[in-house]
Amino acid sequence: MSAAEIECIDVRKVYRKDRIAIPVLDGLNLRIAAGEFVTLMGPSGSGKSTLLHLIGGLDSPTGGSVRVGDAQLERMSERELTAWRSRHVGFIFQMYHLVPVLTAAQNVELPLLLFKMSAAERRERVATALKIVGLSDRTDHRPNQLSGGQEQRVAIARALVTDPDVILADEPTGDLDARTSEEILTLLNLLNTEFGKTILMVTHDPKAAAHGQRTIHLEKGVLERDEVMPRKTVAAASA
Amino acid sequence: MALPLYYNWRNLFVRKLSTMLTFAVVAVIVLVLAVLLSFAAGIRASLASSGSRSNIMVLKPGATAESTSIILPDEISKLVQAPHVARGGDGRPLVSEELCVQTSIPRSTDGTLANVAVRGVAPVAFDVHREVRLIEGRRFDDGALEVIVGKAARDRYANLQIGGEVPLGKLSNRTYRVVGVFEAGGGALESEIWAGLTSIRDSFDRRFSSSAVLALDDAVRADETIAAINGPSIQLEARRESDYYIELSRKTREIVLLTSILIGIMSIGAVFAVANTMYASVDGRRREIAMLRTIGFSRGAILTAFLIESMLICVVACAAGIGGSLLLSGSRQDFLSDTTWTVLAYELRITGDIVVSALGLAVVVGAVGALAPALRASRIRVIEALRKA
Ligand SMILES: Nc1ncnc2c1ncn2[C@@H]1O[C@H](COP(=O)(O)OP(=O)(O)OP(=O)(O)O)[C@@H](O)[C@H]1O
Ligand SMILES: [Mg+2]
Repeated sequence: MSAAEIECIDVRKVYRKDRIAIPVLDGLNLRIAAGEFVTLMGPSGSGKSTLLHLIGGLDSPTGGSVRVGDAQLERMSERELTAWRSRHVGFIFQMYHLVPVLTAAQNVELPLLLFKMSAAERRERVATALKIVGLSDRTDHRPNQLSGGQEQRVAIARALVTDPDVILADEPTGDLDARTSEEILTLLNLLNTEFGKTILMVTHDPKAAAHGQRTIHLEKGVLERDEVMPRKTVAAASA
Repeated sequence: MALPLYYNWRNLFVRKLSTMLTFAVVAVIVLVLAVLLSFAAGIRASLASSGSRSNIMVLKPGATAESTSIILPDEISKLVQAPHVARGGDGRPLVSEELCVQTSIPRSTDGTLANVAVRGVAPVAFDVHREVRLIEGRRFDDGALEVIVGKAARDRYANLQIGGEVPLGKLSNRTYRVVGVFEAGGGALESEIWAGLTSIRDSFDRRFSSSAVLALDDAVRADETIAAINGPSIQLEARRESDYYIELSRKTREIVLLTSILIGIMSIGAVFAVANTMYASVDGRRREIAMLRTIGFSRGAILTAFLIESMLICVVACAAGIGGSLLLSGSRQDFLSDTTWTVLAYELRITGDIVVSALGLAVVVGAVGALAPALRASRIRVIEALRKA
């Protein structure tokens, strides 16, 4: 039951390719309260993934500051960021990125191997995480023995098993059909409402975006619109 | 902080062919290395202290070893006329006519057969080979089915204690009894079985000898003796007995050197095989590595994982290579039996030292080969690798 506030101030990100500067984020300001479920929309190439990577400490901004909880990310070294990620962020990607040679349970266990933790406690945590995502009966299955939706559930279990403050999801339903997407989104909603996680989710799908409490629109390197969703999402999802 | 070993292990089976090839290359190198080292150790030990500087070894011209040399009886009688040949107490020249044959005897350790040299000698041999000393029992009677055995032979082969029975002869149908044990200053002769020249000739159906050894009364003038024997009136090939054994070990050193170079080249090949396998593995797992980095595994953890993965292949391959060399150590005797090396081949043994050396080579090959790919893995740009291909 932990959550962190996210704050981006005047964030700039410029990619350089063959001496040509490609500005992607250009003075972006954003504040996400602890425990909020925010969705991020915008045209392809507008920098959604880039923003998510900056907030997740996978990349450093060209300028400005990114704060997640107590961590001032732009001041941290690569090494510090790596250690910080293992404790504070859970990532969920469109492509799941499970390790093919490991079982569902072993995939979920991976992040825990970076903690000082007994094998028994790890087992217990893995079992709990898999139970939350509804895959208690698939613990020994390899990724290639699972459906796309099940793979994404394993990835979600892996993201939540360390009890992170923030969950960052980049088009988590981009590869799934409508019904499975709905299940995954319901699950993310649960992580937000039941476990109080701060969630930032990138999506192209307005229906998916409706699951958040707030949707922000990214365009031309800055936030274009910021709209609060009507609080009907949970009811709608469970109906 | 490390990834679990089963993660590495299972990944080895993802690219089976590539893994198997590397495995095979490393196993072969370990095999060759183990055989080479045991060979070198064995030969070096027994040849180092063999032969006397004041003895002349005579072989048929062109023969490099006793086993390929034939000397006729009338040639032996001419040898007696060579200058500076020492004489015994009874005034007879110290010329030892010898017949060297092979027999198979089980090892006392595991019962596998080894080729052992059997030397038929006349009593004068004991005056020529002055380093030979009886330490147990008595000498054989020439003409009787009796043998004496070298100390090393007694220790290494089954049933060579005094009173033991040794089947000898062309058809192994003559049973000789061991009546004595001798030492020979730690040299090659200690690995032999000696019996009377007439008995051995008879049992093995030979009319010729393989060599003659002359004792000199003046070692300094050996060159004159050698020149006389090599000259037109005798036409045999003479050299100092000590030179004969140095010559034998020089060939050993050549074999060891050549094989070492071969192992060196093979090891470089193995390093590339490992590198190739690991590069393929890294490139095939870029996203997986990126995900592990995202989760929080450090560059070091990724680097270590790939080093371990390569070492796993090499260590298992090393075990297979050593296993193979142990199998080969039984059959190797036959392999060498027709060569110059027969007499000494029995020394081939895979020892703890050899296993350690082989393991060392395998680990170094694994580490060096995997270093560049592992570095590449640890430096993968996470975000780029995570993007859809
Ligand atoms: N490493 C890089 N080098 C150069 N340009 C880059 C790099 N990474 C991203 N970009 C550029 O930055 C821009 C934003 O990329 P980003 O992936 O953040 O967009 P996105 O909003 O997530 O798009 P999509 O909806 O297609 O996922 C794109 O124009 C992309 O080409
Ligand atoms: Mg994107």
